[in-house]
Amino acid sequence: MENIIKFNLNGKETVYTGSPSARLLDVLREDYRLIGTKCGCKEGECGACSVIMDGRLVNSCMVAMGRANGSSIMTIEGYRETERFAALDKAYAEVSAVQCGFCIPGMILASECLLAKNPNPTAEEIREGISGNLCRCTGYNAIVKAITIASEGGRGLW
Amino acid sequence: MDISNSVVKKDHAQKMSGQAVYVEDYPTKGILFGKLLRSAKARARIKSIKIPPLPDGYIIVDKNDVPGVNQVHIVMDDTPVFANETVEYIGDPILMTVGPCEKEAKRIIEQIQVEYEDLEPILDMRKYDTVFFDYNYDKGNVDKAFKEADIIYEEEFQTGYQEQAYLETNGMTAEPGDGFITIHGSLQCPYYVHTAISKALGWPGDKVQIKQDTTGGGFGGKEDYPSILACQVAVAALKAGKPVQVIFDRREDMEFTSKRHPSICTYKAAVKDGKVTAMDIDVMYNSGAYTTLSAVVLQRGLICANGVYNIPNQRVRGRAVKTNTVPCGAFRGFGAPQTFFAMEMIMSHIAKDLSLDPLTFKKAHIAKQGDATSTSGKYHFPVPLNEMIDKIDQASGYWAKREEYEHQAGRYRKGIGISLCFHGAGFTGSGERDLIKAVTKLHKYPDGTVEILAANADIGQGVKTTFAKIVAKELNLPLEKIIIENPDTFRVPDSGPTVASRSLMTVGELLRRAAIRLGKEWKDGEEQWVEERFEEPDFVIPFDLNVFKGDAYPTYAWGVNAVELEVDTLTGLSKVLGAWGCYDVGTPADMNIVVGQMEGGLLQGLGYSSIEYMTADAKGRIRNNSYSDYIIPTSVDVPNMEVIMHVEEYPYGPYGAKGAGELPLVGVPGAYAAAMEQALGVSINHIPFTAEDTIKTLREA
Amino acid sequence: MVKSYLASSLEEALELRGKFDLIPYCGGTDLMIDDDEERAYLFLHQVPELKGLNEDDEYIRIGAACTFTELLESRLTPAILKNAVSQIAAPAIRNLGTVGGNIGNGSPKADTALIFFVTDSKVRLMSSKGQRTVPISRLYLGRNKLDLKPDELITEVLMPKHGLDNYYYKKIGARRALAISRLSFAGLMKAENGRITSFATAFGAITDVILRRDDLDNLFIGKTLDEAKAVKDEYIKAYDKAIVPIQGRISAEYRKDVCMNLLKDFLDSMGI
Repeated sequence: MENIIKFNLNGKETVYTGSPSARLLDVLREDYRLIGTKCGCKEGECGACSVIMDGRLVNSCMVAMGRANGSSIMTIEGYRETERFAALDKAYAEVSAVQCGFCIPGMILASECLLAKNPNPTAEEIREGISGNLCRCTGYNAIVKAITIASEGGRGLW
Repeated sequence: MDISNSVVKKDHAQKMSGQAVYVEDYPTKGILFGKLLRSAKARARIKSIKIPPLPDGYIIVDKNDVPGVNQVHIVMDDTPVFANETVEYIGDPILMTVGPCEKEAKRIIEQIQVEYEDLEPILDMRKYDTVFFDYNYDKGNVDKAFKEADIIYEEEFQTGYQEQAYLETNGMTAEPGDGFITIHGSLQCPYYVHTAISKALGWPGDKVQIKQDTTGGGFGGKEDYPSILACQVAVAALKAGKPVQVIFDRREDMEFTSKRHPSICTYKAAVKDGKVTAMDIDVMYNSGAYTTLSAVVLQRGLICANGVYNIPNQRVRGRAVKTNTVPCGAFRGFGAPQTFFAMEMIMSHIAKDLSLDPLTFKKAHIAKQGDATSTSGKYHFPVPLNEMIDKIDQASGYWAKREEYEHQAGRYRKGIGISLCFHGAGFTGSGERDLIKAVTKLHKYPDGTVEILAANADIGQGVKTTFAKIVAKELNLPLEKIIIENPDTFRVPDSGPTVASRSLMTVGELLRRAAIRLGKEWKDGEEQWVEERFEEPDFVIPFDLNVFKGDAYPTYAWGVNAVELEVDTLTGLSKVLGAWGCYDVGTPADMNIVVGQMEGGLLQGLGYSSIEYMTADAKGRIRNNSYSDYIIPTSVDVPNMEVIMHVEEYPYGPYGAKGAGELPLVGVPGAYAAAMEQALGVSINHIPFTAEDTIKTLREA
Repeated sequence: MVKSYLASSLEEALELRGKFDLIPYCGGTDLMIDDDEERAYLFLHQVPELKGLNEDDEYIRIGAACTFTELLESRLTPAILKNAVSQIAAPAIRNLGTVGGNIGNGSPKADTALIFFVTDSKVRLMSSKGQRTVPISRLYLGRNKLDLKPDELITEVLMPKHGLDNYYYKKIGARRALAISRLSFAGLMKAENGRITSFATAFGAITDVILRRDDLDNLFIGKTLDEAKAVKDEYIKAYDKAIVPIQGRISAEYRKDVCMNLLKDFLDSMGI
């Protein structure tokens, strides 16, 4: 490997020349100063570091930079510019689903991925879609309600 | 404006968009990173420490570098900043390596050789040889009641560790300034850290600046621990002459920071004419290696030892014992969940033995307004438990299901359980009046905006929003005109710690009064300051900690929990079919925020009762040190959870609000275990009650 | 700095594998748990030959780089495999994790490996020098130890596609999602003309290697249900001796009890 890793980051073609075995999570936070992606465990067990890679939710702590070569990555910084984010923002605000906030960037991207796949999910399907995102504050009820509201209010967005 | 009407939270936007800055999010240019070397032994004398040659720019920081005293002040002073001659638990911090690259600092740690002289550790709390705290109190005439009893019951109950498992681990950064030092990080109590730092460094308070960063959860886990980490990074920063940051990874945080005290409680009850007339209670909490918060945790556990019941004769004795394990501290409930569990279980066991329905039996003993509390104080305000039980029954179908599920057979067995609890609102005893002495300020700017100056940290529970709502309401201003930043000890007075479910009830009320005064004195275009100081309400019967007599708390928040579950006897796995909590925290200061707190606490309580199993290995090292080993609920584990609010306004809390944060967890174990008992047809006396326990119970049946 | 490589074809991947000491990396969800930036990886996610998910007359052929999500989304994936895969971790892990990695880490807790064991699937191993196809049970030598030569790659799993309808699967995890197996069990039975033509069981996560005792299962082959019932006790007794779970975080007694419970329930559900 030429140690040139090419990927699309939040819509921008990006070249990374560091170690291919570095964690995507660390690179996003340290090299690109995208601090919205959080580190909760570094073992793929909590989802705080979730990003969207090639349209799929992944734990960025589980992705080595070499694996990211040729892929398209979206973090919360990219997603928050979208109309879909605005719908989720409104919904989460309406039910005060944000408490300490540490799980939230990952949870938002998980919300996006589950709605992208299934625009009218049942509560059970929502819970399944966010099952890899741990939240210790809310008990999940408000988050499930928020995603339901976003899916109902955001007709046509997903 | 009805205060309960939900608003968009003050910190919603920045957290939602990923722009909120937590301690690990700051730019790290010019910052050095620290890594702690921790004891590999549960108890040993340090004979020698061999440091390898250090690369340029790397230093070692240890007890010899502490400028003031090598003590972290947490109620008492036995926790060292860095270990002295002995280490007292696996994980006890010995020294820190500091340098520009965190990975290199870690590599150096791995090369350091510590020579230990092994000492015999005590890992089993039953085999204690040091009692940190020993309290006892009584009421009435226990011996007479036991002599006259028809039946005497005795049972032992156990509860295990619980780890706070906040999504953001502990982290702290210290930055030496010109004649002062700034420390910022993930914390609940800026002034606790401030006091500890001043003492450890030997510096006057006005040279120490503590700033809370946006904090990713606390639940009590960041009440005392941050003081320890702060002292360590501060000492390191002073030695290095540069900023030093330590952020724990998940394993380090899970193994070595504070947890809920495991407990062993022995309850004896005297029953005469079908009623409990006396209780003789012995409580033992496992403090771990240092005292930290154990005194206060034990106090609360003892005060709550007889639950919600009016038991005329009581003897309560409690000990916090030392073991060579990780020191335990604060976690939502703060000593109460342990004793409420024991009391709820023994009451239902007695009822079953007397062939009485447990809830009917419990109801016959519930205290009423005007009754004496366990500590001979008074329930000054209504005790709404009977109404709340009805609400729970309406929501859950408790009575009908309880009858339906009697004598389950077959592979899948259901059960439903109910429990009653309270949470003493506010700091125990006269602490608020004598120790905290809360002060809060409002700063009105010429442009008409008003800034709230208080030391309470928003850790997700929404104090930024509820405080702002109170001030906005009294001044009739839009929420946007109220400024509230994360507390900075250079800017805010000490309004007390973010603990004991006191922030809204106590500090919120101070802010309400301050706002009223500001409103009266308001002068357009002028800069104004208003200060408000805590005054204990007149009705409170002063509490004497020496004899545990008086009003331990000014008022109580009340809880009724029901849990319905289905056990698969083939696999031992249980499914929670429904979990309900009816909670009285007075007037909700914001319905969404309060319900969010109730739901979050309820789920933590369910985890505590069932899957959150934590244990140490034979050497005393915590085994469950990751999210894959320490199991907290995911979104799919409890899909049917419902919270019902009941409101008994507390006249001395803002708009009738009382302490809320901790209540929702406290009563859950009693309800969970009761449901499990019905499903399996056995008596249960410990939590967590796991799938393994289920299979073991069935095997032994 | 150690050098990692990105392969864009199978030929290239095998050449690199043979030439350098590299760790094959498909999904990374197991490898990345260890914090080791010094590792040299062979990134395989862009090798098209490893992504195939096809069928022929006998087998479902699963490329080693097929992710769990891809398995869930394919109509080719047999129900028993879908059932197991759907209970792996959570969506984000399933989007990355692959069949090759699941087998490659050699763990007895691997959820897909259990299904491959019980279906007597085969694994194709390739090197630049040639290839071989081995029954999966022969691939595992011990805990985290595979009979995989340093120049070989797992390229494909061949899963027999017939006789999979009548199955039983249970995974016991600590909770309903994000759960590593504490024990798992899979069973299959096929009967034709009143006689059992195939019978297979396997237990995961209880011993160093997934437990597959086809010698015990063969007791039922050729028997009618009534004849099978007659040897049921013998079978259970023999299995009882064979299951000796490891004591770990979860007690051996618990594992043993539940294993036997599941086995008996499986027999009941099959009419035996």
